[in-house]
Order: sequence, then structure tokens, then C-alpha cells
Amino acid sequence: MWHRLAMKAERDELGFDAPAPLGHPVRASMPEEHSTGPQIGERLPDFSVNDAFGNRVNFHEDRGVSQAALVFYRSAVW
Amino acid sequence: MRDSFAKFEAAGIKLYALSYDDQETLAEFAENQRIPYTLLSDTHSTVIKQYGLLNEQLTAADGPLYGIPYPGVYVCDEQGIVTSKFFHDSYKKRESPEMLIDAALGNIQIDESAPRATSTADGIEITAALHGGNGSLRQGIVRQLVVSFALPEGLHIYGEPVPQGLTATRIDVEGPDGLVLLPMQSPATHSLHLASIDETLEVWSDRVDLIIPLYPVGELVSECRPLDAPEVGVTVNVTFQACNDSECLLPETRRLTLTLPLDVVDVPNLAIHTGHGQREGNYDSTPAMKRLVWRKTRGNPWRLVQFLWRQMRMRRQFKR
Repeated sequence: MWHRLAMKAERDELGFDAPAPLGHPVRASMPEEHSTGPQIGERLPDFSVNDAFGNRVNFHEDRGVSQAALVFYRSAVW
Repeated sequence: MRDSFAKFEAAGIKLYALSYDDQETLAEFAENQRIPYTLLSDTHSTVIKQYGLLNEQLTAADGPLYGIPYPGVYVCDEQGIVTSKFFHDSYKKRESPEMLIDAALGNIQIDESAPRATSTADGIEITAALHGGNGSLRQGIVRQLVVSFALPEGLHIYGEPVPQGLTATRIDVEGPDGLVLLPMQSPATHSLHLASIDETLEVWSDRVDLIIPLYPVGELVSECRPLDAPEVGVTVNVTFQACNDSECLLPETRRLTLTLPLDVVDVPNLAIHTGHGQREGNYDSTPAMKRLVWRKTRGNPWRLVQFLWRQMRMRRQFKR
């Protein structure tokens, strides 16, 4: 069934093309009033999750005394 | 991100990327795409929710798609305090990795290899360079057009506001259709009081970088069709007037021309992306997609039916 999933592109109101139909929630923009999480000047909330190798990673512990960039992205799958 | 990892390392910035993908998927992704930075697996979207970033326009009825965040990036200092963050209205829009490094370091480090053009006259050197991603244009990725002035000692140029008769510094970009320009970012001016005319002027002197962030949309370079051309020309018109404390040169406009390569994006070998003329690479994410569908629907077979039904309905609408 997977090969039948090929999709044509549609252009959204911001000018971007993507292989999913307009109006699908997967293409929705972030609502204007939506929170973007921790504010500038706040400490990033700590958390522990697994990395790709199955190691438990505690964010601040792993970061140590380094500056860091923490990227939230949608998916490596699609 | 992968291609600029060495720059993060050199700057001493640790790089983490978090998604709702399972660990096995991230391991495959890291291996096939040779990802050198830390990929974090937040399978239950716990951290995404903790940070308040869950995309709630998707619901559990969207099956495997539910659980993704509104994408964005935080940069934190040595104490873990957020010093900058980058979120956009569209998930397609995002900063170049170089801009995250600049944010962490507090200055702009333009690559030697960035496309650039320089004009020197009257001892005033102006350089226009496209900063980020080796100056290439990819759909939605924000680069920075950096116009750098190097002014001889004693000369200054003007920011807004200027008194009548003087010309404020202005940058006009002539580019192809589909190149979106964002408002200019400039460092603070300093105030210069001239007793002779009893005016206070807002000026820049010595070296100053004026930045116009920009990104292309689908009309110019799309992630759903091959490139229309390998590169595009962009002309940067820089208007300014240089003065010292007692007299002024005439206002002038210098034209600088840059040639910018267009670039496709890296996509997984997943049916929805194939045949669009992008870089499909060697990462077949179909097994990961199957796992994702299974993980998101196994506790509730109804979810799978609901998801497939929605997909079918969407595809029927899409064809009309």
C-alpha cells in the first residue's frame, strides 16, 4: 500500500510547498497566541530521555557547563 | 545541522535534537544520515508537553502524527538559562544552524566560503555576504544578508531618524520572485551631538553590520519539485551618506551583486517524498513509519481504522 501514498504538492498561504494537502492539521501554523515554552532568562526545565543508543540522558547533567542548542523537531521518520 | 556540526563543536556548543520518534528509529536515522549530535527520543511526548510545545491541532485521531511539537530551538548559556529562542509561524521556516551559533557566541561569524561582494571607494569598504548554509537558498531556511561597513576613522553613517538634508543608511534588495525579505536588524546607533548645528545625530562608525534575514518560498525553490535553476542573482543596493564632524560626502548608492546557489532538501525515502526531485539519500524510513503507526495505534485498533479512514478521505479530496 505504501507506494500509493505518493502525493503532489500544494502551496500554502505563506508560500511553502509540502507533500500534504492544504487544510490538513499536519500543515497548520502555530497559533499566534500559542506558548513557545520557557522564556528568555529562565532556566530550561530539566528532563531525562533516551538517546539513539539507549543511554539515559539527563539534559543538564549531559550538558555540563557547556552552552547548548536544544532543537524540537517534528520527526526523523517523515 | 549535520553539515555544520563541526562549527558547534569548535564553538563549544552542545547540540541536542528531540523528537517523538522511538530509539530504534533515531539509531537508524543517525547511522544512515551520519548524524553526529545527540538525538533524544521522547516517545510519549512528555518533554514536548512539559515545554508546552505539543501541536494540539493534531489529535489522537490522527494516529501516528499525534505527539509532534511546534518546532523550534532554544539556546542556553553555561548555567542552562535561555539566552535566545527561535520559533516561527510556519514549521517550514527555521534558522540556519549558523544563527544558533551566533546567538550563543553573541557575534556573527561569516564563513570564508560565503558568497560575497565588496565595494571600496573613498576608503569606505562595504561587503555584502550571504550568511548561513554556505549561502545556499533552501525553502523556508532563514539566511542572513549581512552588509558590513568598514569606515575610516572620523567618518560616520546615519541611522534613522536623520534631520532634513542628510541621508539615512538604507538597503534595497532586488531579488527573484519568491525570495522573502524580513525587516532589517541593526545594532544600536550612538548619539553624536554637533554643537555647530545644534543637532543630535544617530550614527554608526568604525565597523557596522546591517542584517536582512531572508528565506525563499516555493515559488523560487520548492521541496516538491526539482530546482528550476542552479543559482539566482541578487542585487543589493546600499544607500548611505558618510560624514565627519564638520563635513559630508554626497549621498551615494553602491550596487553589490551576489550569486546564490539554490538547494534541495534531504528527504527520507518515504513514498510521500519520492519523485519530487529532492535529495533522497539512503535513508528508507518505511520500517520506522510502520513502527510509528503500530506504536500509536496498538492500544486502540479503532485509532488505526480512524487514521486510515482520514487518510483515504484526505486523498479523495486531494485528487479533486
